[in-house]
Amino acid sequence: MEQVTRNRVPRTAIIVCLTMGLSLVPPLSRLSGEPLEYQVKAAFLLNFTKFIEWPAAAFETPDSPIAICVLGDDPFGSALDQIVAGEVVNGRRVAAQRFNHIPAPKACKVIFVGTSEKDIARLLPELGIGVLTVGEGTSFTRAGGMIAFVIENRRVRFEINRTAAENAGLKLSSKLLTVAKLVER
Amino acid sequence: MFRLKNIPIKQKLMIIIMVTTASALLLSGVGIVAFDSLLFRQSLERDLSTLAQIIADNSTAALAFNDPQSASETLAALRARPHLVDACVYRTDGTALASYTRPGARSACPAAEARDALRFTSRGLLVSRAILLSGRRIGTLVLLYDLGEISERMKLYGATVVAVLLVSSLIALLLSSMLRAVIATPISQLVRATTSVSETGDYSVRAQRLSGDELGVLVDRFNGMLAGIQSRESSLRRALRDREEALQDAKKAHERFRFMAESMPQKIFTATPGGEGDYFNRQWIEYTGMTLEQIKDEGWTQYLHPDDLDTTVESWRRSIETGEPFHAQQRVRRVDGVYRWHLCRARAMRDAQGNISLWIGSNTEIHEQKEKEEELRQANEDLQQFAYSASHDLQEPIRNVAVYSEIISKRYYNVLDSDGRQFLGFLTEGGRRLATLIDDLLTYTRAGVIEGDLTAVDSSAVLQHALSSLAEAIRENDASVAYDALPQVCMGESHLQQVFQNLIGNALKYRREDPPQIYISAVHLGATWRFSVRDNGIGIDPHYKEVIFGVFKRLHRDQKYSGTGIGLAICQRVVERYGGRIWVESSPGEGATFFFTVPEHAPRVQSATA
Repeated sequence: MEQVTRNRVPRTAIIVCLTMGLSLVPPLSRLSGEPLEYQVKAAFLLNFTKFIEWPAAAFETPDSPIAICVLGDDPFGSALDQIVAGEVVNGRRVAAQRFNHIPAPKACKVIFVGTSEKDIARLLPELGIGVLTVGEGTSFTRAGGMIAFVIENRRVRFEINRTAAENAGLKLSSKLLTVAKLVER
Repeated sequence: MFRLKNIPIKQKLMIIIMVTTASALLLSGVGIVAFDSLLFRQSLERDLSTLAQIIADNSTAALAFNDPQSASETLAALRARPHLVDACVYRTDGTALASYTRPGARSACPAAEARDALRFTSRGLLVSRAILLSGRRIGTLVLLYDLGEISERMKLYGATVVAVLLVSSLIALLLSSMLRAVIATPISQLVRATTSVSETGDYSVRAQRLSGDELGVLVDRFNGMLAGIQSRESSLRRALRDREEALQDAKKAHERFRFMAESMPQKIFTATPGGEGDYFNRQWIEYTGMTLEQIKDEGWTQYLHPDDLDTTVESWRRSIETGEPFHAQQRVRRVDGVYRWHLCRARAMRDAQGNISLWIGSNTEIHEQKEKEEELRQANEDLQQFAYSASHDLQEPIRNVAVYSEIISKRYYNVLDSDGRQFLGFLTEGGRRLATLIDDLLTYTRAGVIEGDLTAVDSSAVLQHALSSLAEAIRENDASVAYDALPQVCMGESHLQQVFQNLIGNALKYRREDPPQIYISAVHLGATWRFSVRDNGIGIDPHYKEVIFGVFKRLHRDQKYSGTGIGLAICQRVVERYGGRIWVESSPGEGATFFFTVPEHAPRVQSATA
């Protein structure tokens, strides 16, 4: 549907976008070859950092970057790297990292758990405190994950397990909550 | 305004109050509305700006996570603002994430703008605001606010102003109708008073003073004016009544004069100040046989004797010029053609200013009197002539008698016996007395004659001459004579001396035992001088004070007071010849004072000789 409307974008809007140079949702044409769904999800990953407040103790230094880590298989390809390139949130750089094992404590602020990981419920507590856990599907939050991407009417939405996030010491912006589906586990 | 001048003050006041009130209210209303709409716009701008900020903030998540539903819900809250027409959230690529359109309005969200904007457009107030997330622009919010609220407010204000205007006009109307009485009522009163005065002419009307301001002063002045007019009017009425009465009186007086004039036996006339005869009574008409028309003005002159015409007309002209009484003797022709003598007199009647208003004259017939006078004058003249010739002719024989009886007494004294001597003595004495008598008679007849032109003489000098003639007698009688300074008079010197001499001589003659004291003085009385000669002699019984001036009248026959009895007659004749008068005031034993008057100026002497 978005593809359909894109062709109808007024010229002025395109000029505005070009002028601005940067965009939270990059034009999909630049991401050709990549699945559209993960481009959106990559953008969401970045945007989560803007609506969540980590406890100061979660960072090693005041200028430590906000690392978005992908655990297991990486479905984003180059999309995530492109998205976070040059992004600064709350004075911290945003970086994308990939792990095949449980990362060191405080190394990641956001961990996307890929579908390659099977035993989520066992995995999650190992990921440590002060980390936003993002996964796929309602089963992820049911297993104790904080945010899970779901597809609804062919659109990417997400669920939030507020209890899990608060237990991890994270503060979720109320604005974030308004656009999410809230689940209690 | 065009006919404001002519409408009543009441309405003028009302119009002034209403116009003032309405314009003040209107101006302040417009001012308030204008100021308020300015404030309102500012507050609306602030308000919308804040609203846009809030919406933008609340839309960040929806934009960030591409959630049109959430964005629509956020925008749906704008339903609470009924004047918000459109609200749209655009993505950075210019596509709309969500939009809101006021129910019933046609959707037409304005395009997103690159910069934040807040401006009034034809559709309303447009607000365009960037939606930022972490310092990055993630979209644009556009709001369109219609100005219905402003116009509603304006309408509300307009209605309020109109309502206030109406209510305050009503109150002003009520107040002014109460307050204008303060000004309009005194004026109405004044107008009523003036109307009443001009309609009825009753000046006793007074306007009531209702206030102490200029109107009060006006009322006072008006009343004062009325009082002035009233008093003037009443005095005018009085004057008119007086005049009416005076006219009645004058009419009565005129009728009385007419009646009197018609009843008189004399011929009465009146003339204008210019001398034209304007009234002649019945006697004139009957006597002359002329009509009034013929006799009027100068008509009467035709009936004068030609010999008297010139002198009469001349004399009349002089009287008209000088205003002096007119006096003439004239012959007037009777209806049968006979001229008869008349004495005509006329005097000027003057008004209060001294101007001649009328001449009133009368003609009295003196024809018979005149004839008798003439006869008498002729007889008198004859007698005078006779007396003069007689005494003159007698002088010669009597002188002979005196001379020859003197010669006889000298030459033949011894021849005569005692009887002869005595008889001769009687003869001599008689002759001498006869000569004196004839001298006196001559003097008497001459006393009536004034010779030559009269010049003023110094009566003091004349008195001196008289006294020196009498010097011997004065000395013999041991008399003292005193006199004041005496004036210059117009009288023949010898005549005046004769009068002095006779009067002083009498004073010396009719003396008592005491030495005679004589005092001569003169006082100025009107146009004459009155001389007086006073003595301390035997005096005169008042019974005789007229008699003594007759010829040969003597009160004393004895030898003690000798005289011919002609002295005072001479004095009287002289004094009267000059138009004067002589008289005596005395009582026996008290002395006597003789008075005589001499005109100050030369009298018009008649040509008659005596």
